Amino acid sequence: MSGLLGSLSTALSALIANQQAFETASNNVANANTPGFSRQRPVFTPGDPVVLGRLSFGTGVVLKKLESLRDPILELRLNQESQTQGQLDSALSALQQIQVTFSGTDSGIAHAISKFFDSLQQLSTDPASLSLRQGVLTAAANLATSFNTASHNLQTQHSNLDLNVVQAVGEINTLTPQIAALNQQITNLENVHEDASAFIDQRGALIRQLSSLVDVSVIQTEHGITLTTSNGTPLVAQERSFQLTTQIAAGGVHKIFAGTVDVTGLLPAGKLGGLLEVRDNRIPALQANLDQLAAGLATALNAAHRGGFDLNGAVGTDLFIPPAAGGVGAAAALSVAITDPAFIAASSDGTPGSNGNLAVISAVHDQAVATGQKPLDFYSRLVFQVGSDTANTAADLSASQLILRQLENQRASISGVSLDEEAANIVRYQTAYQAAARVITTVTTLLDAAVNLGKN
Amino acid sequence: MRVNPNPMPDLLAALSRARQTTEDALRELSSGRRVNQPSDDPAAAAILVQNHDQTIFTARYLQTLTSIQGQFQTADSALSSVIVSLNRALTLGVQGANGTASDTDRAAIATELQGIQDQLISLANTSFQGGPLFAGTLTSSPPFVKDNTLPSGVRYDGNDAVNQVQIGDGYRIVANKPGSQLFTAAGHDVFQALAGLIQAMATNTGFDVAITALRDSFDFISSQRVFYGNAMNQGLAQSTSLGTTKVQLAEQENTLVASDIEAAASRLVSSQAATNATLAAIGRISQLNLFAS
Repeated sequence: MSGLLGSLSTALSALIANQQAFETASNNVANANTPGFSRQRPVFTPGDPVVLGRLSFGTGVVLKKLESLRDPILELRLNQESQTQGQLDSALSALQQIQVTFSGTDSGIAHAISKFFDSLQQLSTDPASLSLRQGVLTAAANLATSFNTASHNLQTQHSNLDLNVVQAVGEINTLTPQIAALNQQITNLENVHEDASAFIDQRGALIRQLSSLVDVSVIQTEHGITLTTSNGTPLVAQERSFQLTTQIAAGGVHKIFAGTVDVTGLLPAGKLGGLLEVRDNRIPALQANLDQLAAGLATALNAAHRGGFDLNGAVGTDLFIPPAAGGVGAAAALSVAITDPAFIAASSDGTPGSNGNLAVISAVHDQAVATGQKPLDFYSRLVFQVGSDTANTAADLSASQLILRQLENQRASISGVSLDEEAANIVRYQTAYQAAARVITTVTTLLDAAVNLGKN
Repeated sequence: MRVNPNPMPDLLAALSRARQTTEDALRELSSGRRVNQPSDDPAAAAILVQNHDQTIFTARYLQTLTSIQGQFQTADSALSSVIVSLNRALTLGVQGANGTASDTDRAAIATELQGIQDQLISLANTSFQGGPLFAGTLTSSPPFVKDNTLPSGVRYDGNDAVNQVQIGDGYRIVANKPGSQLFTAAGHDVFQALAGLIQAMATNTGFDVAITALRDSFDFISSQRVFYGNAMNQGLAQSTSLGTTKVQLAEQENTLVASDIEAAASRLVSSQAATNATLAAIGRISQLNLFAS
């Protein structure tokens, strides 16, 4: 169709297309700060031409589709890096709280050990002095308390982490049904060839959140998306979601189950992975080390103490309550066995003024008491271990943060809304709309002239 | 390539980093320490555990030395008085042995010798901070008591044991000499010698033997006194050495954990400048777009 009415229709198509494009720009501006939003671009195509004789006339413009700009591979990389970051972040925050127990040279276990041996040295100058003997008992009690406190702190951390694990599982369980619901909506729209990009963006943002919590593998199938953990535990399969559950197991910690399968040890990444790593590996290892040191020290000191004689000439007894066989719980249970300062076995020959056995007890300071190491060597190795674990995790985290920032920059450079671009587009669409409106006005004038042709 | 249209997250990350640096620098400056927790420098934190232990022990060795030096000095001055008394006894012995001395003179000398004997018992029972110095490792009662059933008239209730105290890593010294090795040593019993001399005064015979025995005891105690002199010298030398160790440990701690004030201050200044610059950039961004123009 050509002619004036044809021009009118062509101009109308331009009005409609530019108005739709304007709406798109307006939507982009509106979502400039929406997380996970991918900007949309209108794709214009010319209308099918009309052939009249040897001439073909254009029929205006059609807004063929709105294209969402996103890079699925980049989204996957972002998800992976979010998992790493989530894991390092939760591990670091736990480790930082743990290392407080091992900080400080004027308090804590190392100080208490030094002060205990110091009190023995002091007593050796006047072995019959009751006040100096009381000093040794007090130092021994402080030593026991320092182990108790450190062990208690670790236990508290352990319980807190356990709570966090339960919370993280709860968060996962609120995200997976939402993702499944979005899968359903996306499939429905795509089945009728409608644009589902808003839902795809929403789903992408939720998968990012899920990735920061647990290790997620995204499998794209023709029927939608399936999410599993790296070991294959399904979380979302198309429009169905699967809940993780927690159950209290032996030792008072929550184990994580997918159906009836215990997956606790199979979740290496994400916030949950970090929490589980510290809860199930780092803290028990530290606790075992403290127990080993407490048991080794108490056993060696007891043996040395039993080799002497107290102020009354009686054979020495245990200085500390003997740790349980194997040393389990020794740090938490360490306590002084004697209350009367006269019972300190300072004497090597039964005379009250002898300090011979104090030298034997003092020698424990330089004896191998735990894994072939002297008490303070063992402890300083622990301090180094805790410090370097924390420092390494912090370094890994800042590296991961940098990578994540770069990936997010890349994503934003593809999908992010540029207000400048949108402002320029709005001007373009506005101008085109105004031009089309002008065409319609002109056509109206021409039609008017044609209708009134022959009138004066 | 299209650039990231929204630099805000980058700027916020930069701001957070700058603020973290400021916070770290401030903490370092206010505490004066570079290492406040093990993760700040794990190796330094581990060495610090040992350094702290050695510092405590060094301070203890120095205190032990102070206390033991007092004990040595008291013992030494007691022995010095013993030697003066014995010297007087020898003089009296020679006077009594002189043929011109009358019975009355010898009786007076015997009385004075008896006084010296009492004085020696008192000196041998010298105590330091409540504990007898010459009782071996027995502490309950004075070690030397009068006992007329014995030929020397004095009984030793102490024992022969000695105590050692530690004044350095692996460095132990003997802290006491039992009275049995000073006053009642076999063949050198000072009380026996004195009793012998008093006996000689009473009987007017055997002066030579008695005086020889007393001189022998005198020489013996003089030679034993050297122990305390040596011990005090050892203590002094060790004090000096421990003083040096103490300084070295403090220096090591300083090197390990002390803040490099200049470096921290410069980090503080540069991080504050970075914070200001980032804040200014954030303020500008909102003005820099086509909508704003």
